[in-house]
Amino acid sequence: MAPIRLTVPGTLRYRAIAVRAIAEAARLVSGSTVRDPNDAQAHDVRDPFDTAVVSAFAEIFNNIVIHAYQRRGGGMIELAITPTDRELVIEVKDHGRPFDIAGVAPLPGELDEDTLPEGGMGIHIAKTMLDEMTYEPGPPNLWRLRKRLVVAAASAGGRS
Amino acid sequence: MPSPPFDVQRSDRATTLTVRGSLDINSAPQLAEEIDRIVAHRPPRVVCDLSSLELIDSSGVAALVKLYKAVRNLGGAVEITGAKDQPLAIFKLLRMDKVFNI
Repeated sequence: MAPIRLTVPGTLRYRAIAVRAIAEAARLVSGSTVRDPNDAQAHDVRDPFDTAVVSAFAEIFNNIVIHAYQRRGGGMIELAITPTDRELVIEVKDHGRPFDIAGVAPLPGELDEDTLPEGGMGIHIAKTMLDEMTYEPGPPNLWRLRKRLVVAAASAGGRS
Repeated sequence: MPSPPFDVQRSDRATTLTVRGSLDINSAPQLAEEIDRIVAHRPPRVVCDLSSLELIDSSGVAALVKLYKAVRNLGGAVEITGAKDQPLAIFKLLRMDKVFNI
């Protein structure tokens, strides 16, 4: 299948549109349904596959707006979304500043009331939710996100 | 401008913060301001009802961590209830479900 392409300005104003597009692409792979197809406001991200994809993508979009475009916009975010029956691959391209992904600190090993983090969680969320996440600094900078569908072996035509 | 995805109700026994829809990088700053107002009242108990929350990102989590720490530092208690679906998955991934006792 040819990729679905979407280009939006690199600002938070366009985040919801991009996230909605990704959620619908995830549904093409997972086969999940929405509670009310006429409710344009509902997010309906309940399926584990959809949850993983949407959560990861939202963090990458945030990262680009904050770090690549420094919250000032001035550039575009280009998405190439490739759904298949087994996986979803998302390429996210920006033309802003490269991100130092190697400098992202890990979460604390032991988490308690004193060590609860108030930042630095986005990349950790994205990386953990996905099967693969790569970043190539540019220009253009390129994120590749891959999530595979886990299909139960015993299921007869159903998806999980 | 859309209404913020949260509201606050105060009673003698608790302050209840109800969060709806998406708590993310766009809405979290508004919630952070509301949290400052909540904390200014030095509430003994805050209930954070997430049963109508559909999506959360790291910015939303950070806002709730801020609430949790601020109220606890003043000797109060925070109870986070109702998290499900994507928000619950995020709390579990970050291992905060145990700290928050969700």
